[in-house]
Amino acid sequence: MYIHSSSFDLQGERKSMYKQSENSFFKCGEKTSPISVILVTSGSRGNKLLFRYPFQRVADCTSSLTTKQRSPYALNTTGDVLEDPDGDSREQTPLTDQQLVAGFSDIILATILATKSDMCGKKFELKIDNVRFVGHPTLLQHPHTIQVSKTDPSPKREMPTMILFSVVFALRANADPSVISCMHNLSRRIAIALQHEERRCQYLTREAKLMLAVQDEVTNMTETDGSPQSPFRQILPKCKLARDLKEAYDSLCTTGVVRLHINNWLEVSFCLPHKIHRVGGNHVPPEALERSLKAIRPYHALLLLDSEKALLAQLPLDCSPALVRLIKTCSAVKNLQQLAQDADLNLLQIFQIAAHLVYWGKAIIVYPLCENNVYMLSPHANISLYSPLAEAFGQQFPGHDLPSMLAKFSLPLSLSEFRNPLDASVQEAQLIQMVVWMLQRRLLIQLHTYVCLLVPPSEEEPGLLRDEELPLVARVGGRSLSTPSALSFGSPTSSDDMTLTSPSMENSSAELLPGGDSPLNRRMTETLLASLTEHERQVILNIPAAQSPEDLRMFARLLHYFRGHHHLEEIMYNENMRRSQLKTLFDKFRSVLVVTNHEDPVISLFQSPLE
Amino acid sequence: RGSSCIRIECIFFSEFHPTLGPKITYQVPEEYISRELFDTVQVYIITKPELQNKLITVTAMGKKLIGCPVCIEHKKYSRNALLFNLGLVCDARTKTCALEPIVKKLSGYLTTLELESGFISNEESKQKLLPIMSTLLEELNATGACTLPIDESNTINLKLIEQRRDPLIVQEYDVPVFTQCKDHFIKSQWDLTTQQILAYIDGFRHIQKISAEADVELNLVRIAVQNLLYYGVVTLVSIFQYSNVYCTTPTVQSLIDDRSIQEECLNYVTKKGQKRACLRDVFQLYCGLTPGTTVRDLCSRYSQQLQRVDERRLIQYGLMKALIRRLQKYPVKVTRDERSRPPRLYTGCHSYDEICCKTGMSYKELDERLENDPNIIVCWK
Repeated sequence: MYIHSSSFDLQGERKSMYKQSENSFFKCGEKTSPISVILVTSGSRGNKLLFRYPFQRVADCTSSLTTKQRSPYALNTTGDVLEDPDGDSREQTPLTDQQLVAGFSDIILATILATKSDMCGKKFELKIDNVRFVGHPTLLQHPHTIQVSKTDPSPKREMPTMILFSVVFALRANADPSVISCMHNLSRRIAIALQHEERRCQYLTREAKLMLAVQDEVTNMTETDGSPQSPFRQILPKCKLARDLKEAYDSLCTTGVVRLHINNWLEVSFCLPHKIHRVGGNHVPPEALERSLKAIRPYHALLLLDSEKALLAQLPLDCSPALVRLIKTCSAVKNLQQLAQDADLNLLQIFQIAAHLVYWGKAIIVYPLCENNVYMLSPHANISLYSPLAEAFGQQFPGHDLPSMLAKFSLPLSLSEFRNPLDASVQEAQLIQMVVWMLQRRLLIQLHTYVCLLVPPSEEEPGLLRDEELPLVARVGGRSLSTPSALSFGSPTSSDDMTLTSPSMENSSAELLPGGDSPLNRRMTETLLASLTEHERQVILNIPAAQSPEDLRMFARLLHYFRGHHHLEEIMYNENMRRSQLKTLFDKFRSVLVVTNHEDPVISLFQSPLE
Repeated sequence: RGSSCIRIECIFFSEFHPTLGPKITYQVPEEYISRELFDTVQVYIITKPELQNKLITVTAMGKKLIGCPVCIEHKKYSRNALLFNLGLVCDARTKTCALEPIVKKLSGYLTTLELESGFISNEESKQKLLPIMSTLLEELNATGACTLPIDESNTINLKLIEQRRDPLIVQEYDVPVFTQCKDHFIKSQWDLTTQQILAYIDGFRHIQKISAEADVELNLVRIAVQNLLYYGVVTLVSIFQYSNVYCTTPTVQSLIDDRSIQEECLNYVTKKGQKRACLRDVFQLYCGLTPGTTVRDLCSRYSQQLQRVDERRLIQYGLMKALIRRLQKYPVKVTRDERSRPPRLYTGCHSYDEICCKTGMSYKELDERLENDPNIIVCWK
């Protein structure tokens, strides 16, 4: 599907991981995969099931129909549900996905999935016991225009006409609502493409005719030979549409990325975020993904998950040049603002394209790599000796093993510490490559420093939380540098799909007059400190460092960051300050500040799953 | 008290009439299901034999219909079969999983009634359905439960049960802790096994220990705790030791942002009999937990802050609310030696907690054993 020549073969790893566990996926009921894809139509010849995949052996499905028991007291041997005396349904042995849908014959599926025409153009959802069917029935012709007149001898009237069709996905009933929604989306997209091709060159009618012809042929053969065959197996080599549907199903079950060319002409591309964004064994819900993407800042960086070459090879011929430029200019050490300058695009476009790449699982958001970045082993990292990751690491970096490297990050380690030449044989550049490799596979999280203002309580009433003791955050709104907001997603097919509002960057407080102990500056400082309680103000002013007007002014200016939601790097970026300046300030005022380190919740989504 | 937010809009009784075909015989409220709607969905209500006795939920025209088609075959019926379906209607956006057991039960009840006394095929008794359906609709919407006597020998008992997420598997080294005050729970509500172990759940004993001290078989304890977990009565934390290492999560900021969490925390962690600890001390303590710092280290560094704080309850609360997380040790055997056996437990998949629990070794013993092995490295996460 994706051809890489590069060694950063994430897709390959993912596919090989899936190959190993493919069998277990099908057995234990993978919640984000469909269990079947079915194509039905309704027309002058009635309701027909044209194609279904996977196709079961004919022997399997007939057995469940013959033993039809009528009394509710008899033991239900079809294995669906067993009823206990209270009438509660309890599944004794969980059925495999194959068995769930295999129990439905072609005829019954045709009846229930080829709906009446007034259900067309809308989401179709039907749940039967443990199976959920979702599709988007689409009208081809208005039912009233079809008048099959028996008296009219013209050949056109004799041709069977298709009124509506539906591409239906069967899922386990307990599939996540967002997965169901996504499947419906794909069904609708395929329907749009088919409708278009039908109107242009009767594509669907032709394929349907082929499919039905093969079905008739096989039925005849069965009647004469007596040997049961699956007509669908015979259909595959003859019908492109059948192969497309099979491919859609296979892709959904494995990588989650679907790319079809209906009639070798219209492209339908789709991705199932649940498959792509899997961290620590859980999928990332699309809404959480979108929320995170809306919170990216200009100082974040985009880390590609494939090599530049591999990514470019995957792009369609008519993709936007901006996308190409971005991919070529992208780097883990460059923040988005720099990227905008280097790629000669505006920040808006950068955000748009970055979000698009992240949504499609081609990139993640990180803080740009630099010396002072501190990394630690992710709680969700797979550190098993036998993991495919360990194997891949060994191949990528011969002579090194992943567990040893990961052990180094058991304690938070800065990049500069990591690069310290403990081992002369390992080159610095390769060490950076290793860190990037581990970040791409979500093995590491980055820790940031957060600061909170907490003044020691007053002596009069210790231990009680009066209103005055409530920390600053409850009383003061606080400003934060905003980002191009309202990144809205539908389901982006191309980068043109998304809309943005223009970015509004609030002016940082650096606008305050610099330097000097002018009366104006003193007044500014007083104003800023006015939001504190009397007690807080007193304590702060009593700190030795507060005697220096410069230090006090800096402290007052940064006050609104001291509520534990802005990390050091963000303050540095917004206020254009050096790390050493800030650290010195924190130290001077440490009696009223509490400092802690943890991951950035905004981008930690890409490193750890939500509970 | 209304249980969940499921509102049943309508209850209908549909059957196959010998001459008129599929129709709605009764519905409450009247005229709720339009002719149009029924035409569209009737194929899912009075169904082909293959779909009988299955729970079918169909969404159409902004409504969700849940039913279970029944077919009773007998020569006495015209067309040799009686086909009917008692279903519920909700708004299309409603999550209706909790209604499914009710629909299934109702179909079972009606089938029984018909087989025993021809309740449905008899025109006179069939009319009793209407008031039954009315009562059902009213009571299920009001209280989520309904008890209806049908005749001398039959009563319908129904209850809407909230569907919860499947709980995690409970391991022997997990520690259950009550999410609310223990005294809130009426002991007699629970099964015997749970009653037996309740006293041993103190937020410090792990499953294996509870099993040993309460003298209840390990798997039974696991299942009982899993059940308590399912109902949100307990949550799981890890074993407490002074050698444990923790670190803060981004959620620790909620202690600053959220007044109710502040109150709850300070009340929970203050030593018994002492004045309530102050926020600053408690927050400093949590922030003092970092990779490489043991609880013992914390106690010596922050002795002043710990004057009014019980460190064990501090850790417990922090874990319950995810303000902090535990850093576990995972030994991995890395060796190029082809001759040595592949490691069974030292693969990076099993933590110290798990290994010690399974082998009976203490942490100290395991530490000593591993320190002497040059091929073993340890990862913390």
